[in-house]
Amino acid sequence: MSMQNKAVNELLAGIRDASDKVRTEAWLSAGKAGAAAVKPLAKVMTDGDLEIARAATRALWQIVRHTGRPGANEEKRAVEKELIELLSDDQPVPVRREVLWMLSEIAGRSSVKPVAELLRNAELREDARMALERIPAKGAAAALKTGFEAAPEDFKPNIAQSLRKRGQEVKGYPSQKLAPSKETNVKPL
Amino acid sequence: MRQSNQLNRREFLAAAGAVAVGAPYLIPSGVRGANERITTAHIGVGGMGGYHLGDMIERREKGQVNIAAVCDIDETRLAGALKKAGPGVQPYRDYRYILQRKDIDAVVIATPDHWHGVQTVHAAECGKHVYVEKPACCTIEEGKAMVAAAAKNKVSVQVGSQGRSEPEAYLAHRYLVNGNIGHISRVDCFHYPSPEDNNPVPDSDPPPELDWDLWLGPLRWRPYNKRHCHGTFRWLLESGGGQIRDRGAHVMSCAMWWMGADGTGPVAIEATGTHPTKGLWDSAVLMDVTYTFKNPDWVLTWRQMPDDQLPPAEERTGDEPGGKIVRPGYGAIYRGDKGEFIHWGGDGGTWAEKKARQWEPPAGAKDVYKSPGHKEDWFKGIRTGAKTIMNIEAAVGVANLCILGNLSFTLGRKLEWNQAKQTIVGDEQAQRIMSRPQRYPYHL
Repeated sequence: MSMQNKAVNELLAGIRDASDKVRTEAWLSAGKAGAAAVKPLAKVMTDGDLEIARAATRALWQIVRHTGRPGANEEKRAVEKELIELLSDDQPVPVRREVLWMLSEIAGRSSVKPVAELLRNAELREDARMALERIPAKGAAAALKTGFEAAPEDFKPNIAQSLRKRGQEVKGYPSQKLAPSKETNVKPL
Repeated sequence: MRQSNQLNRREFLAAAGAVAVGAPYLIPSGVRGANERITTAHIGVGGMGGYHLGDMIERREKGQVNIAAVCDIDETRLAGALKKAGPGVQPYRDYRYILQRKDIDAVVIATPDHWHGVQTVHAAECGKHVYVEKPACCTIEEGKAMVAAAAKNKVSVQVGSQGRSEPEAYLAHRYLVNGNIGHISRVDCFHYPSPEDNNPVPDSDPPPELDWDLWLGPLRWRPYNKRHCHGTFRWLLESGGGQIRDRGAHVMSCAMWWMGADGTGPVAIEATGTHPTKGLWDSAVLMDVTYTFKNPDWVLTWRQMPDDQLPPAEERTGDEPGGKIVRPGYGAIYRGDKGEFIHWGGDGGTWAEKKARQWEPPAGAKDVYKSPGHKEDWFKGIRTGAKTIMNIEAAVGVANLCILGNLSFTLGRKLEWNQAKQTIVGDEQAQRIMSRPQRYPYHL
């Protein structure tokens, strides 16, 4: 067994431990495990035990925060590559949603296309839109524009908002942010 | 309902033909007469919102305000608030109905923190004066938008760090600026720990009375969990931010005000702390944050510490104007080259050490602004255009301290801050987290 596999296995054992303290120590130490731990941790994110699932999610976030530090570009790109693969259809929606937000913090150009593809996914399109809004690569704005043109009418205002945020001009679809839409059932006295 | 024939600002604008939507007001808010009632509406009526509604009902009895509307996304809370406010008050689930009403001058926003920025900006864009609970904002970007919206629309904003308006805050401020402890180079804020979630529960369907979509508002969508809702939102970083964003927005507000540091910011922020060991809540339990200021040089610290390490509260008889110290678990120690000064609380309860209370200013001593009361100071802002004591620029400055402390804790590294450019330096990930994309249409 390689040193790397050993470290990942030890991390997973800690994440699955029955002790709150051991699980916490494990996820706090996850940062240095890096790309090799991404997919194994993702599998545990949907564990039936809430605390184990939560520890796995926090461990993955810890990796994202650690590799996002200044000067760790190579590590970051390796983690990004693993995260991108977790966007695939065979992954559970909650995992993909979490991964979109992780990518929003560290993603570069290579994430743009796989994230933009999720603008067509009814369950994930809003999170994908927000992730693209945050990714500074120019390609992200271009992907939003392409996504806007292809989007169904009910989702165009959302993407239009992201495009405006990115400094793009959009014809039509003004934001409805000030338009009330939800009535109360409480009657005046 | 109005008791004056004077035109209010909106009536003035209509009469003047100034109707362009989104155009900045070009008149000062001083058009309003001093004796005219201000017509208010309440957005968020649970927790502190319930307190504010009760306070405004008392002010209605005194002829200071009208209450036109109450709003909440929880129908049970809304019905309760309506009953308390009485006939003539309109209930709403969606705050944007309130912003459309031309007869409403001002809103009191006491929603969870993740709504403060969006609702304040929207209210300002609709020409409403705003009292918004602290902390002002959850992200650096929200703070910038709030400052810009208030300035562009010339509305008065008061943020609910009401410690600045407390009688003993005035005494402490006056004592410190007169050099009684000499040059102050360090302020150490103390607070008891954030709680851990000892009763975690799985996600579930929201209760029928709750509009979960509106509760989340700008936040990314997630399933309902009762440990992330009324009250408990405080202990999640994305919505409440823990003790540092709750009480830090009070105690550090006093520090920035008394140190004359409004408008300034640190150059470096470094945080460490401990994490909860289980449950949904993720804000720091114990925490140690150091903010380094330059030109002038001083250090501000925020420390969440075990109860047995907190400084003991001063013995008071209870006969003093401020009574006994009932919130001894937080406050700050000011360290000068000629001595130290301590206060407890810093919010609606602020207790200054005896030496500041007993200090008699000699002839020629400096005086400081004495707030007539936090709401009264806001009303003055509405009527005259005067800057409020916890104006939005100052409040965003304090909220930024809380945000940056949490961000350093979350990322596990020291941050550098450029106050002039309002940005984090040399850390791309941290820069991205200065803003947080918001769900449509609940965006700035």
